[in-house]
Order: sequence, then C-alpha cells, then structure tokens
Amino acid sequence: MSEDIKVDKVMDLKGMPCPMPIVKVSKGIKDVEVGQVIEAITTDPGALADFPAWAKTSGNEILKTDQQEDLIKFYIERKA
Amino acid sequence: MEIVYYIILIPMVYVAFAVFFVGTGVRLVKLFREPRNPTTLQIFPDKRPRWMWALHDTFLLPTVRRHNPIFWVFLMLFHISFLLLIIGHLELIGDFRIFQIVQHEVFLGNGFVGLILSISLLFFLFRRFASPNRDLSVPEDYYLLILLFLTVFFGSQMDWARRWYDYGNLSVVEYREYLSSLLYLKPHLSPDLTSSGHSFMLVLHVFFANLFLMFFPFSQIMHSFLSLPMNKLRRG
Amino acid sequence: MDQKTRDELLKLFQGKLNEAMKFYLETCTRCGVCTEACHVYASMGQIKYIAAYRHEIVRRIYKKYFKGRGKIWPSVGEARELSEMALEELYEAAYSCTGCRRCMVYCPFGIDTQMIMSIAKLLLIGAHTEPEILTLLADTSVEKGKSLELFKEGFLTGIKNLEKEVVKKWKIEAGETAIPVDVDGADLLYVALAGAHSIVPAAAIFNAAGENWTLSFFEAVNFGAFVGDPTKTKLILDRIVKEAKRLKVKEVCICECGTAFRVMKQLSGKQPFEVSSITEVHSRYLREGRIKVDKSKFKEPITYHDPCQIARNGGVIDEPRYILNRLSDDFREMSPEPKYNWCCGGGGGLVALGEDNLDFRMKSAKVKADQVQETGAKILTTACENCHTQLSDLNSHYEMGVEVKFLSSMVADALMQ
Repeated sequence: MSEDIKVDKVMDLKGMPCPMPIVKVSKGIKDVEVGQVIEAITTDPGALADFPAWAKTSGNEILKTDQQEDLIKFYIERKA
Repeated sequence: MEIVYYIILIPMVYVAFAVFFVGTGVRLVKLFREPRNPTTLQIFPDKRPRWMWALHDTFLLPTVRRHNPIFWVFLMLFHISFLLLIIGHLELIGDFRIFQIVQHEVFLGNGFVGLILSISLLFFLFRRFASPNRDLSVPEDYYLLILLFLTVFFGSQMDWARRWYDYGNLSVVEYREYLSSLLYLKPHLSPDLTSSGHSFMLVLHVFFANLFLMFFPFSQIMHSFLSLPMNKLRRG
Repeated sequence: MDQKTRDELLKLFQGKLNEAMKFYLETCTRCGVCTEACHVYASMGQIKYIAAYRHEIVRRIYKKYFKGRGKIWPSVGEARELSEMALEELYEAAYSCTGCRRCMVYCPFGIDTQMIMSIAKLLLIGAHTEPEILTLLADTSVEKGKSLELFKEGFLTGIKNLEKEVVKKWKIEAGETAIPVDVDGADLLYVALAGAHSIVPAAAIFNAAGENWTLSFFEAVNFGAFVGDPTKTKLILDRIVKEAKRLKVKEVCICECGTAFRVMKQLSGKQPFEVSSITEVHSRYLREGRIKVDKSKFKEPITYHDPCQIARNGGVIDEPRYILNRLSDDFREMSPEPKYNWCCGGGGGLVALGEDNLDFRMKSAKVKADQVQETGAKILTTACENCHTQLSDLNSHYEMGVEVKFLSSMVADALMQ
C-alpha cells in the first residue's frame, strides 16, 4: 500500500483476460463513495494505456501509477 | 353475375398483371440500386467457382435437404411443379415447339402437377400450425399459402374435370381463345367460357390468381428473384 | 417514446439499409429451417432465440416504417411501432445473439442474423439503452488512440518489464530486443491485446522464427464492433491502419481475437499490407520450417474450438489443424464440419458483460459444453480471447475437467531451441 494515499478498496486484476480489468474496475468504482480510492493491481502492460484512458472517459482520476517489476498498481479516486 | 365474371376475367386480370410487372420491376430496380455492403458476407470455407455454388444453393436447397429432408422433398416438388405450371400456362396461350420436346398433351402433367402443388401447399400450411413454426409465422405467411392453395386448387379442378371425370365442356380451345384475346388486348369472353357449369372454377381460379399476383411484389415471394443474389453473398 | 426520438432512431435505421440488408429484411419466409441453428435455442429451447424470431423483432419495425404495406395493411406482416417495448425486445434479441452466423449455414437464402442484429444494436445506442460497459470500453479505446503520447511512456516501460518473460521462452542473441516496438520498416506489425498472455508467447515465436516484427501501440480488439457502433468501429480500426502505413509493414498480424481479426481483415479495405491472424502466421512458420515444435510436449488428447469470427466468418480453418497435428498425435475434431461448430456463447460482446450475464452465458452454451465433453479431450484449445474466457467459465460451471489453452501459447511452450 502506498504511504500517502488512503486506500478504501483493493482489487486484484492480475492475469485477467481482455477486457476484464476495465470491466471489473468500472464496477468496483461504483462500490466506493465519491472521493474514496481504489487500488487496482494488474500484470497487463496494456493497462498502462487502458487505465488512464478509462479514467478520462469515465471521469475518474488516477492519483498514482506504481510500476514495479512484475506488478502495476493504480490508485484511482472516484470523482463522479 | 355476368358483370362480376366480366370484371374478374378481364379488367382485374389487366390490373393484376400491371401491378405484378410494374411492382416487381420497380422494387427490383430500387433494391439493386442500394449501396453494396462494404464488407464480404461470405461463409467459409470458400468453394469455387463461387457463382456455381450459389446456383447450387439457390436451386437445390442443400441446407434444407440436410436439416429438414421431408420439407425439402415437398419444397423441391413444389418448385419444380410450379415451373411446369408456368410452362403449362404458356401453352394455354399458344404452341411452343420448345416445350414439346417432351411430347405431351396440353395441359401438361395429366393433372398431377396441380395435385402435387395442392398437396405441397397443404403441407406448407399445416406445418405452420405446429410450434415452433406457428410462433415464427405472421399472417402473410398464411394468407399467401391459402391464396396459392385456392388458386391452384380451382385451377386444378378445371384440369381434373376434363381428365379425371370426363367433363369436357371447357377445353383448351376455350382457354386459348380467352387468353390470347387478353394478350392481344382484344379481350373477349365467349359464352362457352362463362356459361358452362364449370365456369365458376375458372372465375375463382383467375380471381385468386389475380390477388396473388398483386400481392407478389410486396411479399416474401420476391425470394423468387432475390434468392440467387443472396446466396451469392453467402458464397462470397 | 416521443416523436423526435423515434424520428432520430428511424434515421439510424434508414442508414443501415443497404442492398444486402434489404434483401435480408424482404426475403425471410419464416420457414423455420434455422430453428436448430442457434446454440441458445438448442440449449434453452425458447422460441425467442430462433434466428427467424430474432429477425422479426427488427423486421416488424422495418415493415411499419419502410414498407408501403406498413401504412395500408400493417397487420398482414404484424408491423410494429417503434416504442419503449420494442426497444426492450430489440435488446433481448441483440444481446442474446453472439453474431456467430451459424444460422446463416442453415438458411436457404443465407440471411445474416448478425447483420440484422446490427440494426437493433444501433437503435439501442441511439436510445442510450445499450449495455453501458460496452460503450465505456469503446470510448476508452477511442480515447487511448487520441492521446497516444500521454500513454506511450508507461506502455513502453510495461513492455520492457515483459521482456524477460519472453526470453524465458526463447533465448535471443545479445543486443537483440525481445519485444521491438515502433520499428520503421519492419515486415510484420503484431497487434496484441492488453494482457501479457497475448504478447509474451507471440513474441517468443516471432523471435524463434527470426521475424522482423514490431509490436503495435494499440490493442487489436474493436469494442466499437461489439457495441455495434460503426463510427467508433472505424476510428479504432483506422489508427492501426495508420500505424501500419507509417511503419511501412508488409503484414499486419492480429492476435487471438475473433472480432479484431474479422474487422481488420474484412473492413480495412484495400491496403498496402496483408492482414493475417496469428494462427495463419504460426502455421506458415511451421510449414516453412522457421520454427520447430516438440510433439511430446502435450501428451493428452486435444480438441480445438473454432472461433466463429475466425473460422466460419473469417476463413481460417485449415491452419489451426495443421498446427495441432504438428503438436499432437491425438487431435480430435469437435464438429464433423468446422462451419457447423457451435459458438462458445460469449461472442458479440456478451463476455465483456462479465458477471451480469454469466447465468445466461452458461445456460445458453450447454450444447457447447456437451460438444467439448463428447470429444473426450483433456486440452481444449482455441484462438480467440473471447472464446477462451467463455470456455474457461463453461469449464468451471459444467465441471468439464479440461484445460483451456490458447493455441499460440501451446506453440510457444512447445518451441524447440
């Protein structure tokens, strides 16, 4: 977990087939209140383009992208 | 009564044929002037020559043969008989040497063409009474089948009357006189044609045929013309 | 529904009426030969899933507004008004149809149900009653193309991180790049999906074959086509075409995704490059001896699910069989003829609806599960992401006890150095 961001929900999207990470996160974001944050963990390199584009389309905000060796973590704040 | 006979046998026939030819022609021209689909609609594997396979699919109905063989038998019998029926009617206008390659008496088929058509039409109609075809059918499917059945049945009666129960008052001579008078735009009804005991068969036959012809261009019977281009789309 | 909305929807309808569409709408005789064709009907037995019934939902509206008959004698064809109710029926018809076109093999005229359903899908978009998630996916995809520069850096790092996975499968010479990106003048542009599973095995095989290839920035799948939005479909397609032209590649190779392959192959028009599926490319490598595979790798019986958009609708039928016969001595056909293969039940965007329609997807694909089990195979392979997801769901739902695998990853696993 990132130190400066308070995470309200963690979603494990590792190794999911296309387009499940986006589908899941779209659903998941509705489970938290506006202003709360989701941590989405994925292994898909494509997610690095998909998530920012999804956030822009759906009107949410990616606070931070944490790229590790095998994992990619997105911290997404529900805006709308 | 005479006036009704007259209207059905002359003006209505002209109107029916006008609607049939103009309607079909205009609709086909309009359909074929629509823009083509931007992508192929082919089903694979690809088989060549494609147009040959499209003809095969159109005239031999292989998909029906495979999935519903009984229906296929009736469909083939029906469509072949329908073709013979058209030839038979052309011969009621005049002599065509080409059709007499196989020597036969006019009207061809010894009455069996009409019989096969009638039975096939009843089969087509009755199969729609059972689910799931009943649930798929809409009124026009029944109307068309009933209309065709009535047309064919009364038409066949005229044929059967002569051949099977020796009623010879109305014969090919009278029909030829009537049909050619219509064709040469000098319509004429001889008293032999309208006063015979079997005249009502003729009148009903022509009446239902007129209705069918007028409905044709606006119905799914347009598949007569569209089946080939559609099968070509599937073959690529 | 108010008049203005209806007029707008009818305008959308009108826009779909080309020659083929009119043939399809004018000709059906409701003969019922298509009854047995649909996997949903075969599995669930409800009339509303028969292809001809689905057509009629659209056709009734056509009869009402686009045929003279609809004005003077609407009842003859049961012409129906475009209403909220009609939209509900359209939804039911369109989103229970996977667009597999199996019914087209049955129809004596070859009526294309998928094409008729595209009207339904477009009307639903017009009325904003389409599945929200599909539009979101399409919009996300469009957005990605618009702001490429924004995502480029992150994407490239992500790809770099994958390279060691590729090298695990196939060692490369020092100085070579395991996943080349943006290579001007490459022979082959590989368009993958977002997931690593779509990139790693493919990369290993390209490297093994010594291919001069490059990975696309974009993902292959066309969500525009799923939701049935022609404008978005074109947008998503065009940027791959543009990239291929910019890099001057000779071939665009589409990953294991049925929709992506069919859209690219059939909708891209005449281009200076060839479009091929990854299955075709792999079979070519094997034929030409550019890669070698170890037959002892997979010992259990294998069966192959033909993805509808790739086989029946895309023409890639012999190639997977060629590959499988090189991978195994026990390859078992599922259907006597590939064009009769049952759809997995997940096409047309249904899988992307996720949990929402899981119950329907499982019930409607019972025949598929049965078909797989009848082969007795232990490995179920396919060449489409969508099918793979759906087949995996079926596998656990029906406890089929098979292993669902991508054909490309089987090839990658069996590569001989």
